[in-house]
Amino acid sequence: MFKFAIRNLLSRSLRSFLCLMGLTIAIAGMVGLFSIAGGLEKTVSQTFGKISGIVAMQPGAPIPLFSRIPRSWGEEIGGIPGVAIVNAEIWSRVNMVEGKPVISPPRFLFGTEIPTRLQLKHGIYREAIYAGRFLSLDDQGLLNIVISKQIAEQHQKQLGDTIDVNGQEMTIVGLYETGSILLDVAIILDIEMVRTITRFDSNSVSCFYLEQSGNVNNDELVKNIKNHFKGRELASWQPSSLALASASQSNILKTLLNTIDQSLKGSSNEQLEKSNEKHLKNKNHAELQAATKSPKEIEEQSSALDVRSASDWGDRLENFTADLDIFLGLMTGIGVLIAILSIINTMLMSVIERIVDFGILKANGWTNRDVMLLITAESSLLGFAGGILGGQLGLLAIYIVNWKFANQVHLYASPGLLLFGVLFSTTLGIVGGLYPAWWTTRMTPIDAIRRG
Amino acid sequence: MIEVHNVEKIHQTGETEVRALQGVSCNFPGQAFSFILGPSGSGKSTLLYLMGALDKPTSGEIFVQNRSLSTLNRSERDTYRREKVGFVFQNFNLLKNLNALENVLAPYLPLGVSAEQKKRAEELLEQVGLGQRITHRPSQLSGGEQQRVAIARALLKRPLLILADEPTGELDTQTGEEIFQCLREVSEQYKTTVIIVTHDERYIRETDFILRLRDGKIAEENAVK
Repeated sequence: MFKFAIRNLLSRSLRSFLCLMGLTIAIAGMVGLFSIAGGLEKTVSQTFGKISGIVAMQPGAPIPLFSRIPRSWGEEIGGIPGVAIVNAEIWSRVNMVEGKPVISPPRFLFGTEIPTRLQLKHGIYREAIYAGRFLSLDDQGLLNIVISKQIAEQHQKQLGDTIDVNGQEMTIVGLYETGSILLDVAIILDIEMVRTITRFDSNSVSCFYLEQSGNVNNDELVKNIKNHFKGRELASWQPSSLALASASQSNILKTLLNTIDQSLKGSSNEQLEKSNEKHLKNKNHAELQAATKSPKEIEEQSSALDVRSASDWGDRLENFTADLDIFLGLMTGIGVLIAILSIINTMLMSVIERIVDFGILKANGWTNRDVMLLITAESSLLGFAGGILGGQLGLLAIYIVNWKFANQVHLYASPGLLLFGVLFSTTLGIVGGLYPAWWTTRMTPIDAIRRG
Repeated sequence: MIEVHNVEKIHQTGETEVRALQGVSCNFPGQAFSFILGPSGSGKSTLLYLMGALDKPTSGEIFVQNRSLSTLNRSERDTYRREKVGFVFQNFNLLKNLNALENVLAPYLPLGVSAEQKKRAEELLEQVGLGQRITHRPSQLSGGEQQRVAIARALLKRPLLILADEPTGELDTQTGEEIFQCLREVSEQYKTTVIIVTHDERYIRETDFILRLRDGKIAEENAVK
């Protein structure tokens, strides 16, 4: 039967080819679009798989770049059992490199407390050095930096060269390459120099990177740290525009623009001072409250710190990619709808042209079911071929995009996605052939033969 | 063998009614050559197709070996056509994407073709003079050769009945003679009842049964001598 079906498709080669192309492009589009989520998942899981520590930052902040927490909390965290090293970090976006604006891929100033950074058993950037050296104690207070291979190549810089970052001349002492587009965006230097350059509040940091001592289970340690900071008042992160718009009656657009400016450059001193005052008041208030509140009341309050391990990042990403998949699915659906209509049209035309043949087959004992099977075999073959070709075309497109935009994106189509593409396309083929197949059953054999 | 009892067939085309057959009753003898003659539009082909269960009468009944075709459900009608009846059409009606051998085996494609059936198909094609052409597609065969393939296809199932509708209508005189000769030979060999609709009376023999139709009614009926 399949041999007969293949011959029937080949006898109308141009029409079959056009229908096949419609399916191929729809499936290639689906593979390409879903590879965005696949690439994101793979990149993040590979990235966070290399990070063994825990990050403590402001609740609600999506990444440390948007987080602000009191610097003094680092000491408290260090006193919690299970915490071996507490490394303060400041993250800030780079606006200009070598006098040119930085848009995409983004670049970040990563200020790290060098002494504690050097104490870490596993430091991803330190371990990724391939030329020169990592920061040392002597680099404190200096604009000596470690940059990625990606950044060096983009600006044609080598070890020992200076590079202008946000108007500051910095000296390259080391080059690293982690292989992750999420990590290879950092320009690493002493935390206090970043604080100075970006006018970052002296009493705040972006986050703390914690290395575990190993004698406390990770989940328990996260819980303990969160519990320690329950009842403290620290405003959860929200987009600055909303925060200021709700607090002020002034022009929202102007306020938004100011806020964007501030978040890129770092909070202004005035705002930070106000924030610190509030923090101190809150700390005293919180301590007083903690002393007077019942354990149950404290239990029910949320923590002032968000503490995440690598698996937490993975879970959050899963939620994000699930939402992304829905969006991508809707976009793919348009192409799929067009493909299925194309199959129905092609098969219907083919069936109408061959109605006499089907009459002859029925005259020779073929049942309606046999005829329907033949037609759906033809359409399913188209679907199957479309799935294979579409997957290959999608892979080719992914390869080209990954090669062309190696520093900005990483698309990935898993074997599961490719297999799904083939199965989905074959199903589309079968479904697309059902109506034309059913149409042939409406006619008696003699009516069909008489048409000839 | 075949009993036709008061059969009527009305074709409805929009608001127009065409009475193709009006109360036709007759008997066709088994294992014999029979002809249905008459002018165009007399209902010859309609009667032929009713006997082959390709269509259903509006009223009346047709019995084949004492079994009424009206009592058959769709599945039984498909089985009857696949196993008991062979059709030969005026314009051959071969499947152009299949070669001669595959066309002969077409009735059995959905069920799977056995080695025995394939061998028998080759023998039949050999018998009708197409032993060297079994891999040729219809486009590579002459009209006469295509009709022989159709005859071989009809014979593969060792049918009870062969129904031929103007089998020589698109063939020249000599080829037409060859086709009729072929039909007679296989009819005798396989003891098959053959009923032929035709305008051409040159091939009728004295021993053949003849039914003449005019305007959907029997004009003349000759018994086998």
